[in-house]
Amino acid sequence: MATEKVPEVAAGTAPQVARPGLARRPPRVRAVRLRVGRGTLVLPPLGIVLLVLVGPVVLLALYSVNLRTNIPGTSTAFSTANWKDFLTGPGNPFRGRFFYSLKITLLVSVATTVAAYPLAYYLAFVARRFRYTLLLVLIAPFFTSYLLRIVAWSDIVLNNNGVINQALWALHLRAHGNGLGWLLYSNFSIFLVLFYAWIPFVSLPIFAVLENMDHQLTEAAADLGASRFTTFRTVTFPLSLPGVIAAFVFVLIPTTGEFIAPLYVGGPNNQLFGNEIQSFFGDSPNWNYGAVLAVALIVVVLVLMLVFGRFLSTDLRTQRGGQVGR
Amino acid sequence: MRPNWLGRAALTAYFWAFAAFLFFPLAVLVIFAFNQSMTPTLPITGFTTHWFHQAFSDTELLGAVVRSIEIGAATGLFATALGIMASIGLSARRLRLRALIVAVLLLPLVVPYISLAVGMLVLLNQAGLQISLWAVFGGHVVIAMPFAVLVVLPRLRSLDPAMIEAARDLGSNEVTAFGLVTLPLLMPSLVSSFLICFITSFDEFAIASFLAPPGQPTFPVFLYTGSRAPGLLPELIAVGSLIIVGSLGVIALAEGGRRWAERRLRGITAEAAEALTDSGVPALQI
Repeated sequence: MATEKVPEVAAGTAPQVARPGLARRPPRVRAVRLRVGRGTLVLPPLGIVLLVLVGPVVLLALYSVNLRTNIPGTSTAFSTANWKDFLTGPGNPFRGRFFYSLKITLLVSVATTVAAYPLAYYLAFVARRFRYTLLLVLIAPFFTSYLLRIVAWSDIVLNNNGVINQALWALHLRAHGNGLGWLLYSNFSIFLVLFYAWIPFVSLPIFAVLENMDHQLTEAAADLGASRFTTFRTVTFPLSLPGVIAAFVFVLIPTTGEFIAPLYVGGPNNQLFGNEIQSFFGDSPNWNYGAVLAVALIVVVLVLMLVFGRFLSTDLRTQRGGQVGR
Repeated sequence: MRPNWLGRAALTAYFWAFAAFLFFPLAVLVIFAFNQSMTPTLPITGFTTHWFHQAFSDTELLGAVVRSIEIGAATGLFATALGIMASIGLSARRLRLRALIVAVLLLPLVVPYISLAVGMLVLLNQAGLQISLWAVFGGHVVIAMPFAVLVVLPRLRSLDPAMIEAARDLGSNEVTAFGLVTLPLLMPSLVSSFLICFITSFDEFAIASFLAPPGQPTFPVFLYTGSRAPGLLPELIAVGSLIIVGSLGVIALAEGGRRWAERRLRGITAEAAEALTDSGVPALQI
């Protein structure tokens, strides 16, 4: 290769118009330029995440151990008193609130995953030609305003003069004016709204797994004499477990920090952990204690992510991941 | 495995019952937008478009909607641009600390919005800055960017490297090749990314409720405070029903576009296969 000596310099300096006789640059030099140029492009997005997300989280951590404070006249020295109070203080109300939230979250996650499975199964094995369109029908409400849907539930459907109670009265199933009290501001309403909000989203990963399943495996099971139910129990369902777990995590993680639904449909006893954090930075600004709760929430979610994360798509972790879905 | 007829019937019924459940609150909202009564309760007293007129003359409400659209559009553009950068960066053949970089870029997906919101509030305070719509915008860009990466990166990986190499061989430099070849090929994913980031921002409440200054609420913040005032509820329902019908319309349009493109593509490949068969090439399986 006669041209090999020249472009070392040419490539390093200004981008040049191809000279006659140098129409093709040697690939070795190009590879070097690509590597330097491309990798650095992750820096701006990385910088913004560090500034807007990691920075605040670190600052919250400092507040939680009293190295910073917003309360005038208090000294700032390292102290784990707030953490100790939250984690081990007898009958700590915030810890109680945390476990109440976790209970609701787990209940919602399990219920949505179970309810979404038949939906995904229908789309993958019954809907056939229109499955993507029907999938969209299922997901469409998810892309409309979350807050508006909650307002519809709380102010129109579930309230005391709401659609459900009015319907019960009209059908003479209950005495007029005597509505079902547990419809709103209750555990039921929190559960219902969260269940409603997440089920479209949860059916997605299950559908993706069922859709990409090797149909020859179920055929083989049938050929070997397995009934439909046995085939499902021993082949289809075990193979779909990664999707089921992904679905479970998809709802578990966002609902762990939920605080909007309780503002509308929760009574004073049904507020979630997120609402406690909110009030520490709003009504009664004690940022040091609030920071403990905010950091604890992040830690819990990160731990959940580490435990379940390996079941999620590996698409991004490997350089050449397989594609899921279409 | 395809279930037998009984199973198919049961699953079909289950699916449509769920679809009804999912659309029920949306339908209720749209119906009550036209109800005459001040309170959204049955029985429906009569048909009126009064609440729409009232909503369109409420400058505070309109201001909040416009504010949310502006922040949403800016978030969509900015987060998508960052998503492109991150995707190209991650597609580099060699990248040090790749796993760590991916983890940091996707961190906004797992950090609860409420923790991020109060953290940003504390950071602004520490830096001696006031809460502002710029801070809301910054927060929205960060929470939307992972979605942009998740949409754009798979598309970028599916591109045939030969096309970009061809552009380079024909004399374009890396930037021109990107603008003329890569970017147009990425376009469908960029549109999806913009829409998803827009919706993420338009619908976001936690960050906006802490960082939007008083008197400059975004639509979700206005909706939250407004729905506490009984007099405002009917016009909020009216605007809300417009937003819902609008977003469902966009989704239907996008799906229509996808089906149209798919049919056209199938038509073209079928034609090509036919032409090949006619010219004596053995039938291709498509």
